[in-house]
Amino acid sequence: MSIVVVFLMYTLQANAQKEIPNVSVKKLDGSSLNMDEITKTKGVKVISFWATWCVPCINELDAISEVYDDWIDETNVELIAIATDDARTKKRVKPLINGKGWEYKILLDENQELQRSLNITVIPHVIVIKDGKIVWRHTGYQMGAEEELYEVVKKNAK
Amino acid sequence: MKKLLYLSFALACSVGFAQTQDDSEDKKKDWGTLTGGFESIVQWYNDDTGLGKFAEDEHVRSNNYLKLDYNYGNWFAGIQVESYAPMPLLNYSPKLDDSGIAQYYAMYKTNKLEVTAGYFYEQFGSGLILRGWENRPLGINNSFRGGRVKYQPSNSLSFTGMYARQRDGFEVSEGEIFAFNSEIDLTNLFKLQSSSLSAGFSYVGRKEDIPEEFQNTGFDEMTNAFSARLDYSGNSFYSGIEYITKSDDAIVNSQRFIENFVEPGSALLVNLGYSQKGLGIDATFRRLENMNFFSEREASGNVFNENIMNYLPGLTKQHDYLLTNIYVYQSQPAISVPDPSLLKFGEIGGQVDIFYNFKKGTALGGKYGTKVALNASYWAGLKGDFNFTDRNAEIEYFGFGQKYFSEYSLEVRKKWNRKWQSIFYYVNQYYNQRFITDQRGEVNSNIAVVESTYRISSRQSARMELQHLWTPDDNKNWAGATLEFNLTPRLSFYVNDIYNYGNDDKDEQIHYYNVGGSFARGATRFAVNYGRQRGGLVCVGGVCRFVPQSTGVTFNITTAF
Repeated sequence: MSIVVVFLMYTLQANAQKEIPNVSVKKLDGSSLNMDEITKTKGVKVISFWATWCVPCINELDAISEVYDDWIDETNVELIAIATDDARTKKRVKPLINGKGWEYKILLDENQELQRSLNITVIPHVIVIKDGKIVWRHTGYQMGAEEELYEVVKKNAK
Repeated sequence: MKKLLYLSFALACSVGFAQTQDDSEDKKKDWGTLTGGFESIVQWYNDDTGLGKFAEDEHVRSNNYLKLDYNYGNWFAGIQVESYAPMPLLNYSPKLDDSGIAQYYAMYKTNKLEVTAGYFYEQFGSGLILRGWENRPLGINNSFRGGRVKYQPSNSLSFTGMYARQRDGFEVSEGEIFAFNSEIDLTNLFKLQSSSLSAGFSYVGRKEDIPEEFQNTGFDEMTNAFSARLDYSGNSFYSGIEYITKSDDAIVNSQRFIENFVEPGSALLVNLGYSQKGLGIDATFRRLENMNFFSEREASGNVFNENIMNYLPGLTKQHDYLLTNIYVYQSQPAISVPDPSLLKFGEIGGQVDIFYNFKKGTALGGKYGTKVALNASYWAGLKGDFNFTDRNAEIEYFGFGQKYFSEYSLEVRKKWNRKWQSIFYYVNQYYNQRFITDQRGEVNSNIAVVESTYRISSRQSARMELQHLWTPDDNKNWAGATLEFNLTPRLSFYVNDIYNYGNDDKDEQIHYYNVGGSFARGATRFAVNYGRQRGGLVCVGGVCRFVPQSTGVTFNITTAF
């Protein structure tokens, strides 16, 4: 059984999803935005799925926030933080990001349509896209993992 | 087990298919794209001398989900195969005890028009009037099966119309749902420069046959609900209001009609917020009267969260620690009148959040700044009276009745230096068990948590949590600890334990310990866990599921492709 699982894991890696589906999400002011407005632009972008109730997600975005200016200077990367909060906790998104002083582009995926279309079941989940194509994905966050993420960003920004 | 192998086989085939399609890409032929996800949770329950013998059927159980989506140009189609073999995990609905194609859909989508047939998810506004969603850990899949058209004639207008029945296990509900939604962006109309204003109107109708003995008792097959909402967002100030009214319908308690008791329902939700750099304040008020809305009347009060058409989460802070999640508030939207000392007509209350960042370099901020989050919430039953002879309820609009729940919490996050960072968390709770979970008594508790993370190297870190819950009520004091070791950003191990050492009954002074590890690579995550599950409410997003206590091994694999 476990052999099957390991085998599947590796075959699946080779066939990873390469596109971000053109799902409609909301901006903080309540207006809609189609994901192709993000994927059709050139350059390297980090898409981070998080929620206000997810402690590791906040740890990750806090950690990146401290070095985000350096990242932009060196690679011109843009981080898009997609809040998957539903009606219960959505109201906390705006005060929380301001309270924390994050400078990311924040989008809302309130009924998790984008999250579901990318088959994400566990957050935090980070996706790196280059010229609109997915080049790297990672689930979970542990202190220091932002450095591995930045290596990927640098490699693709060249 | 056999079913599981079939599923793995189906997955392997789909991967094979994806590969062929990759090859053809090289030949510049477009066969569309196939993507998907797979999740499997296998639990092996064993007998435990501390908790007692596992008294149910089937020691090994699994929940498996395979989702496949195909896209070619403007056309989309997909299926979700689910297998609960040989039985669903403990306390999932018995209606799920099967395997097969649980959902399918086909969709045509352009920039202005979207037409869907089959199963789909939908949400109007905040979900207060309609929400179909999936949450696997809670065993919720309230998607709709039918047809839906979305039309967006301009950037500031969008309309949705749908007709459906609701998913119910591997079947669909008896009741039919007719729904319409409109979203109108008024920003351009009022020529607003730096702010935005939007309105929304929705209608949801549920039609279900009335059992013969309750016909002509003052309610119709069709129950109608209307919602109107307005949202404003300025530079730093924002607000929103939503009002819902629901037509007369029979009151159903514990899945039984109460004869000649018919009431309308309503909801009011008001939200105000202010935020600027380094400071955020948010306040919410909500009043729910007879607002539970099911696709089958007799599903009212079912323990598996089935047939729920709208989303009424408990509006309190969602905690992330084991001991802060023992006494969790759930919203109380229903009218229920089991006896004169336990009358419930709905809920009224609110919560306030404050986020503040002490800047770097200040006395309280230190070198890295200090982040503080405060939350306070208060919920009470709606004040009212019930006449048992006339079957008539009188409910006050802004009347605060029996107190159900209150809480205040403080969270401080502090980074000390490049290696150390900490979180301090304090919660004070009042929990009325009689009215929330139908048990006896009230619980007053204080909970403190300290979490520290130490960075060993650029790739390794260790995290530690200490928790304590003080209460003179219910099961008395608890203590808890977690130790987590992150070997690489991909591989981590943890051990935790919560211990009800204060319990008056020596035999109930139980350690609920767990050890486990997880490995993540790309979009795949594999986790294994052994330990004891505390019996009680498992809650995600303000919705809770009751789980019995158990001991066992859990394997979980999730992947996307």
